[in-house]
Amino acid sequence: MSGTPRQITLQQWDREYDRLRAAGLSEPVYGGPLGRHVADGDTRLLKLRYDNSPAALRLWNFLLTEEDRLRAARHSGKKLVGTMKDLGTVPVMAYSLDNLVAFYPDGAWWIPCVMERNAGLLQIADTLGIDESFCPVRAMLGAFVTGAHFPIPDLLTCSVGATCDDFSAIAQRLSALGHPIFWWEIPHRRAPEADEKAVELPGGFSAPASLVRFVRSELERIRLLLEDLSGHTMDEETLAQGVARANQVRLILAQLRHLAFTAPLCPMPALEMLIAEMLAIHFCSDQEETIVVLQDLLAEVERRVTAGVGYLSADAARVFWVNPVADLRVMNLLEDCGGRVCGTEYLFAHALDPIPTDLPPMEALARMALADPMVGSAADRATRIVADIRRFGTEAVIVSRIPGASHCALEGEIIGEIVRAECGLPVLEIEVPSLTDATQATLRTRLEALVEIVKEKK
Amino acid sequence: MSAERKKLRVDPIKPKTIVYSCPYVPPEWIAAHGFKPRRLIPLPLEGASTIPRIEGLCPYARAFGNDAAACGDMAGIVLTTMCDQMRRLFDLLVRRVDVPVFLLNVPSTWQTPAAQRLYQEELKRLGRFLVRLGGHRLEGQELENTMSQYEVMWELSEVFPERSSCQTLSESVVAPSMLGHRTTRPRSDSRSVPGVPIGVIGGPLMQRDRVLFDVIRDCGACIDFDGTETGGRGKCHLDLWYVRKDYWRELMEAYFRIPDPARRPNSEFYQWLRQELKGSAVRGLVLHHYVWCDKWHAEFARMKEWIQLPMLRLDSEGEGELDSPRVRNRISAFVETLR
Repeated sequence: MSGTPRQITLQQWDREYDRLRAAGLSEPVYGGPLGRHVADGDTRLLKLRYDNSPAALRLWNFLLTEEDRLRAARHSGKKLVGTMKDLGTVPVMAYSLDNLVAFYPDGAWWIPCVMERNAGLLQIADTLGIDESFCPVRAMLGAFVTGAHFPIPDLLTCSVGATCDDFSAIAQRLSALGHPIFWWEIPHRRAPEADEKAVELPGGFSAPASLVRFVRSELERIRLLLEDLSGHTMDEETLAQGVARANQVRLILAQLRHLAFTAPLCPMPALEMLIAEMLAIHFCSDQEETIVVLQDLLAEVERRVTAGVGYLSADAARVFWVNPVADLRVMNLLEDCGGRVCGTEYLFAHALDPIPTDLPPMEALARMALADPMVGSAADRATRIVADIRRFGTEAVIVSRIPGASHCALEGEIIGEIVRAECGLPVLEIEVPSLTDATQATLRTRLEALVEIVKEKK
Repeated sequence: MSAERKKLRVDPIKPKTIVYSCPYVPPEWIAAHGFKPRRLIPLPLEGASTIPRIEGLCPYARAFGNDAAACGDMAGIVLTTMCDQMRRLFDLLVRRVDVPVFLLNVPSTWQTPAAQRLYQEELKRLGRFLVRLGGHRLEGQELENTMSQYEVMWELSEVFPERSSCQTLSESVVAPSMLGHRTTRPRSDSRSVPGVPIGVIGGPLMQRDRVLFDVIRDCGACIDFDGTETGGRGKCHLDLWYVRKDYWRELMEAYFRIPDPARRPNSEFYQWLRQELKGSAVRGLVLHHYVWCDKWHAEFARMKEWIQLPMLRLDSEGEGELDSPRVRNRISAFVETLR
């Protein structure tokens, strides 16, 4: 429980931390003052502003200690699975087995932001022929070369097919550097034709049954691989338990998102909400702790909503945010401009939807994998965004482009077209590189203009 | 609006054309259903506005979209998933053009029977799409005969390379008079033309960018090997013996195995490249790609390590700059180092 919600700097947090400790704050093993992470090189933290609740402190500490957890897991004899690109499917399988820990090396795309490029990962990618025309996820190559940001996994899987070309090309480069990759196919999701049997997917879309069967066969290949690595059988019951645990995370997140996006006053800033949502894809390498961290955050949000306290005023512009940002600071910037996030589609909506439990688990996972926003059309994404806009009462949409990402060139055009036609809302496209300091003034002007338009319409 | 529900603009007298984008679409399959297949290699058209200029958008994908939208006599457009930007172009074309658009799902992986089956099922789905557009259902040996005719045309193209391009060849069986009317593809000329033998590799080249081959020759080199997608690499050779034995299987397997760096893993592409370079006189390789083409751009460094030959990477924005003094200068310097 905390007092009045307010955003504070890292230095303020460290003082607040001392006060909380003196007041008897109980912490998990990864706890501690946030300022200590700056000593590890995470200098961007000095430029962010944070929610002042102990729940947010725990969330940040959990996020920033993942590397330690991975090394500890390896030390304890567990096997590490680097699951690339699918954003939420393979980890559910891996965490079904006790001695496997899955994580996304893709997450290295935030290292150039968090370490303000001091780690030199992008320069390493440059030397490997992957320059700035690629998405910032190219930092992953540098992380593999240095081995300094996560332990090299015992197994690497990567979904390809209906994915972005950047990632596929970077993963192929990684493979050529001597890191064997198990490629699995995720086909483009299309609507069933009149003569085809249709299957409903989580998130409301449908796909031909034949496509679901295909994905299921791909996941079966992964099941065998994980069993081999683990030395244990992943039977239906084991997998069903894994699905149930993943659903527990998703259920908490659904409650959290609903409250945060619909409360009259914003109960939790966009930055903390982004981090919370990210936990769904691989549980930050500890599924049980993820549940506790999210429960804490939910309790804080419930308390604030009940007390009628929060950020900004009730007339803050309610913004739907599309795509994750490469620079975390931009989430602070929106609030500085008078906007709050009321709806998100960070490219992993399929990792937030409940996995069906009335189906055999592999069938349910195949359907979930096919519900990935990345594998369908931009029009599908827009349809889902429109539904969420109506659900959360959003007043404007920001499509945040990822520099160099192959999907970003055209999707904004289509999403914007559909949102304007269906909802009549203003849509703004911005590009967010890993560090926005040089473009901060321009970004601010654009965000302020959007907020003004929304407020004029009220 | 669904691609399927679109009103067709088919003139019953003119042959109906299906425009397609990628070598993984077998023209024989389209032709056997009674359509004229046309591998559209964009010019690109001046002043086209269906797809606006957008930061990050591949110039080839944009030009293809604009040129396809401007085609007046087609019954449909077929794109594939081999490139993410083309896959997303499908989303836009479905909304911007008034002919049906079909997206052929070509798996990136190729080593599993399931991936091969998926491609096979997708070809059958394309067949059903063509039937819905007014094409005829295949009967008896129709496909086999079309495949045999095409293979003869491909073989002719080897004998008369200056008379062929992917585009003209794809159209030639249903419109034989087309052959020889568009001669922009450079021939493989190391045996007949003096100069430093070099190879060219990369994705597809727009029509006006085929000037690259002339520029290379002007700089004192000869083209020993054309591995661009619109050159030799994009041509699929069928084995007529297998065509007679099991034409469907031969069609599927031959097209599914076209070497491309976008396959995962892309080891087959490198095996193909090794084979092509083996015994050739090539002293250096020019890799061309359009800006924002990740799959080719990413391969440059690896290819350079792998082939152990001097390489030159050229990227272009599709604005005709391959004929610019800057590019000429770079190619000239490259050729000079190979002498």
